[in-house]
Amino acid sequence: MTIGKLNRRGFLALTGGFAATAALAGCGGSGSDDGLRLVGVADQQKPLDELTKAYGKVSFNASYAPTDQVQTSVRTQLGAGNAPDIHVVYPGNGSAMSMAQIADANLLADLSDQAWTKKIPENFKPAFQKDGKTYIYSAGSSVIGAVYNKKVFAEAGITTLPTTWPEFLQVCDTLKQKGKVPIALGAQTPWVTQLITYALVPSTVYVKDPDFDKQMADGSATFADSGWVDALEMYLDLQKRGYFNDNVNGTTFEQQTSMVATGEAAMAIQVSAVLPDFRKAADSEDDISMFPVPGGATADQVWIPAGIVVGVGVSARSKKLAEAKKFIEFLGEQKNINAWAEAVACVPLVKDASSKIDPVLDPFLPFMEGNKAVPFMDQAWPNAEVQPAHFAVVQELLGGETTIPQALAKLDQTYRKS
Amino acid sequence: MRGRTRRFLLPPWWFAAPALLVYAVVVLYPSGAGVVYAFTDWTGIGDFSFIGFENFTKLWSDEATRGSLVNTLLLTVAIVLVQNGIGLLLALGVHARIKSRSLLRVIFFAPAVVSPVMVAFLWKYVYNPKPNEGLNGLLASIGLGSWRQDWLGDPDLALWSVAFMVVWQFAGYSMVIFLAGLESVPDNLIEAAMIDGAGRWQRFRHVTWPLLAPAVTVTVMLSTIGGLKLFDQVYAATNGGPGYASETLSTVLYKQAFVFGNYGYSTAIALVLALFVAAVSLVQVHLLRGREVTVS
Repeated sequence: MTIGKLNRRGFLALTGGFAATAALAGCGGSGSDDGLRLVGVADQQKPLDELTKAYGKVSFNASYAPTDQVQTSVRTQLGAGNAPDIHVVYPGNGSAMSMAQIADANLLADLSDQAWTKKIPENFKPAFQKDGKTYIYSAGSSVIGAVYNKKVFAEAGITTLPTTWPEFLQVCDTLKQKGKVPIALGAQTPWVTQLITYALVPSTVYVKDPDFDKQMADGSATFADSGWVDALEMYLDLQKRGYFNDNVNGTTFEQQTSMVATGEAAMAIQVSAVLPDFRKAADSEDDISMFPVPGGATADQVWIPAGIVVGVGVSARSKKLAEAKKFIEFLGEQKNINAWAEAVACVPLVKDASSKIDPVLDPFLPFMEGNKAVPFMDQAWPNAEVQPAHFAVVQELLGGETTIPQALAKLDQTYRKS
Repeated sequence: MRGRTRRFLLPPWWFAAPALLVYAVVVLYPSGAGVVYAFTDWTGIGDFSFIGFENFTKLWSDEATRGSLVNTLLLTVAIVLVQNGIGLLLALGVHARIKSRSLLRVIFFAPAVVSPVMVAFLWKYVYNPKPNEGLNGLLASIGLGSWRQDWLGDPDLALWSVAFMVVWQFAGYSMVIFLAGLESVPDNLIEAAMIDGAGRWQRFRHVTWPLLAPAVTVTVMLSTIGGLKLFDQVYAATNGGPGYASETLSTVLYKQAFVFGNYGYSTAIALVLALFVAAVSLVQVHLLRGREVTVS
């Protein structure tokens, strides 16, 4: 037996050496040359797989994970100073992994010298820029609207889509009469709770006060004394009228999706980024379409929410900063913006003749081109606590545990925390 | 001579050194660093400054954290009582000389080896609020349709639904500990009690139960600690909702750190939780050890 011949010193050297090697291997993984490290969220895998392959100039070591896991791991890596060269960044402010929060800590590389940044439309600049410098790349914007099952609408004899709030209520009523759940709501999944508010607030707040975000920031406006009250009243009115499924707080996003796909429910108010989930669950992809939720009393008072989709940034401490930035520059080329936008069914940041936009988004384009689109509200919020507080108060409102004034007071209080 | 042999057989202390080193690097150092961060306003990234006891005073005034403390205590009491009660009954049941007892032991213990997150996902199906699915469907099919509930969506029920799920998973675990205790109750004592005319209940109350005390100490302590730091099941099943109805200290500290970016405050909560768990465990061990008896 060889081990019998091993003396004490030799054994120590062996075990100590092994432990030291293991410890070093654990710490120093990023030093080896295995290409650009890239960490994204699951939604980004499709476009990034395609575009990293098309780039061809460097190799990539890419990984993708669900949002909450990425939030945990990438932020920890950012704190430890060993963040991936290119990583997921959320546009604007309002979450722990958002552009403004990470740029504040000087952990994102400035991309302002790249050509594509000059073409960012004015109304989207707050999502991309802090103090005039661009820190995030994103291929375009997604919208929130009613994802509906065309067959169910046809069976209920609905031929024209609603363009005002009274018409919308009328459509819901017709659907209910026909024994369908008009709107499926999966409020057990926290992020789903916010979508109806977001769909309505552009019409109840921003039509009158396009500068509402600025007024909130300078303290001259509050949620509790704004069109947010109307939006939440409309939200709860839908519940009171019985237009939602039963037990919304116990229903998940997956159940919501399947209810619309199978025709048990007629529609769900959702973000266009999840269209693929609804299409996958439906008998035929063509059964699923989308229309803007009309939150105004008249058609000219309807605005819609359109938010920049989750993007990527370059770690300011990357050892391969130049290479990483070059890849972002490549992503900023028009054909690649088009490719990314097509892969995630969003509206490209800038369009040219070759841009292909998912036809179900057509009804939304006039709003976006007519400056009647507002970024998702959380992107302008100053800290990461307001959005989860919104999830929680909506669940409490739907469960009858709180009132609208109390809920909005809580949001105001959370907003002012920072 | 014998003493020398024994000392010779004892491995030198430095055999443990590699393991201790790893333990120090992986556990002791981060824990120590965590204590330091609890006194800062660190956001997880960037610089931080020391803010004294501010995080701790905030902890007492923060409604959400206080609410989660109450939830955590309620959950723990419910889990400790019900899980160990059922565990004891299961243990007494499968300790009896019945044919299928080995199979039953395996079945009752099986959920304990499944990952808690998997269990939570499975129970989300069981707790489906639709009237004809999962638990609701079962209730309807046995004529208890009026008992159907929105198990995870009703703010008054969500916490108890989670507790039940945990009990379902770990009752078998308590059973195994009680079984080990039951094995150590000498048959001759039971027989002597029988000859003295003690009935089933008297034999349990005056012979088995006192001798089970060490097992009770272990299982009550383990379930208390498990209850106080309950995270996976709550996070996967309700994410603390609806609203804040099923938030526990662990989910709050997770969210404070990883969702809100308040790492300093989060480590303060973690520190208080750790000290609290330690204090409760010490008191429990002291009280429960006191009633342990041995056969002499």
